[in-house]
Amino acid sequence: MKTIEHIPDQGILLFKTCMVTNEYPGIESSSTYAFDRLGVDYFVSDEQSCCTGLGFYFDLFDQLSTTAIAARNFAIAKKKGYPNITAMCSTCYAINKKACSLLNGNEEVRTKINSIFRQAGLDDLVYEQNSLDEVDNFYHVVEIFLSKAKRIGALNTIDLSGVRVAAHHACHYYKIHYDDVIGNPENPQLIDTIARSCGADVVEWYEDRTLTCGAGFSQRHINRETSLKVTHAKLESLKNAGVDLVLHMCPNCQIQYDRYQPVIEKEFGTKYDLVHMHISQFVALALGANPDKVCGFRTHSVPLDDFLNRLK
Amino acid sequence: MNQSNEQVGVFICHCGGNISDTVDIKSLKQAINTSNTIVFDHEYLCSNLGQNLIKKNIARCSLKKVVIGACTPAKHEKLFKKCVDDAGLNPAMLEVANIREQCSWAHSDDIDAVTQKAISLVRGKVRRVQNAKPLEPIQIPINPSALVIGGGIAGIDAALNLANNGVHTYLVERNATIGGNSAKIGKIFSPEKLEEECAMCSLSPLMNEVGLHPNITLMSCSEVENVSGSAGNFKVRVRKKARYVNDNCMACGRCSNVCPVFVENDFNCGVKDKKAISLSFAQAVPQIYSIDSEKCINLTGGTCSRCQDVCKVGAIDFDQKDEIVELNVGTIIAATGFDEFDASRKPQYGYGLFANVVTQMELARIFGVNGPTEGKLACPSNLSKPQRIVMIQCVGSRDEKPTGNRYCSRYCCMAALKHASLVKKKYPDVEVTICYIDMRAFGLYENYYRAAQDLGVSFVRGRPAEVIEKPDKSLVVKVEDTLTQKVREIPADLVVLSVAMEASTGTRQIAQTLNVTLGEDGFIKEKHSKLKPVDTSRDGIFVCGTAQSPKDITDTIAQSGLAAARTCAFISGGSITLDPEIARVDLSLCDGCGECLKCPFDAISMNDHGNVAINPLVCNGCGYCTVLCDQKAISIAGYTEEQIHAEIEGVLEKGDLLAFLSRNIAYATADNIGSSAATYPANTKIIRVPTTTIVTQSMIEQAFGAGARAVLMVEEPTDDPIGESVYSLALDNFQKLKEELGDPGGRIHFKKAYIPNYRGLASTLTTLSQEEVGE
Repeated sequence: MKTIEHIPDQGILLFKTCMVTNEYPGIESSSTYAFDRLGVDYFVSDEQSCCTGLGFYFDLFDQLSTTAIAARNFAIAKKKGYPNITAMCSTCYAINKKACSLLNGNEEVRTKINSIFRQAGLDDLVYEQNSLDEVDNFYHVVEIFLSKAKRIGALNTIDLSGVRVAAHHACHYYKIHYDDVIGNPENPQLIDTIARSCGADVVEWYEDRTLTCGAGFSQRHINRETSLKVTHAKLESLKNAGVDLVLHMCPNCQIQYDRYQPVIEKEFGTKYDLVHMHISQFVALALGANPDKVCGFRTHSVPLDDFLNRLK
Repeated sequence: MNQSNEQVGVFICHCGGNISDTVDIKSLKQAINTSNTIVFDHEYLCSNLGQNLIKKNIARCSLKKVVIGACTPAKHEKLFKKCVDDAGLNPAMLEVANIREQCSWAHSDDIDAVTQKAISLVRGKVRRVQNAKPLEPIQIPINPSALVIGGGIAGIDAALNLANNGVHTYLVERNATIGGNSAKIGKIFSPEKLEEECAMCSLSPLMNEVGLHPNITLMSCSEVENVSGSAGNFKVRVRKKARYVNDNCMACGRCSNVCPVFVENDFNCGVKDKKAISLSFAQAVPQIYSIDSEKCINLTGGTCSRCQDVCKVGAIDFDQKDEIVELNVGTIIAATGFDEFDASRKPQYGYGLFANVVTQMELARIFGVNGPTEGKLACPSNLSKPQRIVMIQCVGSRDEKPTGNRYCSRYCCMAALKHASLVKKKYPDVEVTICYIDMRAFGLYENYYRAAQDLGVSFVRGRPAEVIEKPDKSLVVKVEDTLTQKVREIPADLVVLSVAMEASTGTRQIAQTLNVTLGEDGFIKEKHSKLKPVDTSRDGIFVCGTAQSPKDITDTIAQSGLAAARTCAFISGGSITLDPEIARVDLSLCDGCGECLKCPFDAISMNDHGNVAINPLVCNGCGYCTVLCDQKAISIAGYTEEQIHAEIEGVLEKGDLLAFLSRNIAYATADNIGSSAATYPANTKIIRVPTTTIVTQSMIEQAFGAGARAVLMVEEPTDDPIGESVYSLALDNFQKLKEELGDPGGRIHFKKAYIPNYRGLASTLTTLSQEEVGE
């Protein structure tokens, strides 16, 4: 099991994420800002490709192609000397971890992928068994921040007293690889701990806390009604708990809440006074980053202006 | 060296192909066959036929010494020692070469290399046995008294069985009274009568009998702190904690009446209805009050002596101190019980968040006439009668998430049915729903299950997702009914969680103190689940009740009776034979310097004549004393310097890695490499030592002189009872050796063993056996 003492702050490959780059680029700039401020040794590679998780969960890519692409990304991480692959998105985290576990434990898959690499003249991508460890080399940014929660609290520049904060820990972080969650996987406290260290009034438990955001990848489009019903139920619970700010660790969840909150308000005839941000944006903001230039809050659908004004 | 010309009989086992498929037995036999050896082989030496072959040839060829090439000595060394003993040889005249776990199973090299390794291992043992001297077995009488740890129903029943069989028994209980969890549960279920019976009515007479039995010494408020010695003669250190009330107490209760401090009542699951000076419950045994030292005004530095003022017999003693008592017993029974799974680890069920979510044990207390509501069914939030009760099964049991436990806790289906029946009989208008995964009413309990259905209890097959609280404090249980495949929201006034039984903190602690093995679920592991269900990994120590696995009272009593019977059988053996491989002192060489008294286990002392004496009951043969003795007056029988030098000479070839492995954990870890089909190169030669503290400069010089590539010492981890004391000494010895030898090219290495991490050891062996030799 992973423990907080094992979280590295060196050799971090900050894994680029499609939904961050395309939807909320502020999550990446917030992550690098926060890492710089906290003295984390990281690298962002332009050679890296998407984890293909979206394609995988839309049934467009199979597990073998997904694993082959992961092997390519692993080769880049190792070549650059940044073997601790750290995601801003829970799906990137889970996809990479699973691919690593397959490459290490399934000889057939490893041999097949390596032979494809060799045939294509891509020998430098060949994956050597156990050259990465599915536990020790895969992290989520929230874990890095958790390991530095005290320091973040000490450097915090915003007054969060009286701000009701709730966490939405992403399914693909704590429900897929539940053995590798720091703490109790049925009550993950990573986001809560970071928010609490910054003085926020954290809601301990709310109804449906462990319910999915509702996105469900393709479900958002092919079963729109069910998908929105789930999100509506969660927003109602958060509203009942008097939450002002929901913190996320997955851009897909953030899309579901932030982009669809106005849609739900319209379709369900209701109103929500709550805003959303990613844990990286929250940490960057706490460390004094510019809300627009670094955190990129202008890309959000639910405006944060009133909320940010409240903090001053 | 004292090499005799006596013939050594060498017996090679094929192990049905496990050895002979990867080792060329013919070449092995040829290589070993010399003028002073005779070599035999057999398909299965451990079989009766195989043992007969050994016995027959010892007689026919007048063999004086025997080497067996077979599986790890951990497996059959005892069997083979008995075999040569039967044939009239001293068991010390036998050596086992481990050519399976550490040879045929552990290498992926070609057959020649593996065969070559087998040859060298057998040759090493031949050289070693040529230097062996007969060892007389050490016989010690068994102390005929017993210790039972834990005063729950299991410990009470075991102690009474022992005492009634004439065995003097100490019963040690950590709490102020015996009774344990059984005292709390109020009612017990009975499969025959389909009725619920009063638990205290059965338990209380037994508790009183314990208190009065002439063969039982009851020690409450007491904890076992340390156990030394071995089967037949354990020395036990018990801390008798101050209860601040002496034995004069008449249990009149005046003190409690005047005490101004209310404290949480463990007996009533934490309800604040108890005084700082109190009796745990009315039927407590012994009937002596005790003071909660953390809450008492006087004991926390305040001024109050109300209890002392009203006590007519002078029983209150604020100055009472903890007392250390030493017990000598022959056997021990661990009956340390279970803890309830902490349901707040699953916040989705609201335990600890919502007042009206309780556990079955808390419901049992609500039902108890001596409970917080005096037996009236009531919701904790406002003491109103619940109209709708929902019970959730398998909370923390049958759970693959690391929060819970994978096993079934065995008691909870029946406990839920019992409480559901009680509710329906007393309050027929109350709705009771049980959400279950499978109802497990095994054996005759099926009748009870049917009776509960007839009473109108509802059953929903599904594991609830979440319990939520409405503003009026009523609850809703969200569950998928997997039979109708519909999501349901069941309203409830009271939700009762059937939580798992977990190995108690006390069980985990006592396992460490007693050095008995725990299973992966944290319970004390039995030696054999079918044939030796109450024996532990250590001779003379038995286990019963929920310390061994989750179970109900019926099964607990069956086990505690068996544990008592096994204990009696052990004691009636009269005497016990100890492992002769312990420290021996040659008084003709000893100059009385006293260095060896630094023994970390206190096994060595100076006797009245000023001579060094070794206590065979305490000495575990670790060997640390041998490096302390400049006169070389102390050695470990069976592991003398001559024997180890001889084995090194026999096994070592140029380019080998020589590894000294401590004989318990380290050696077992190496065996695990072979039995888990992991590998390392065949040029690794392992020598078993008591601990690596006995490795000397001359052994390492001999190894390098013979062309060893590197030397590795692997020591027991610090969580092992020997490693705990020896590890740091072994590390010191390693550093000293490194310094003395100058360690040319960094060729002397040290590693801590850890049984699950056999892969780590395999990779160290692989690296070191392939490393370029530096100069």
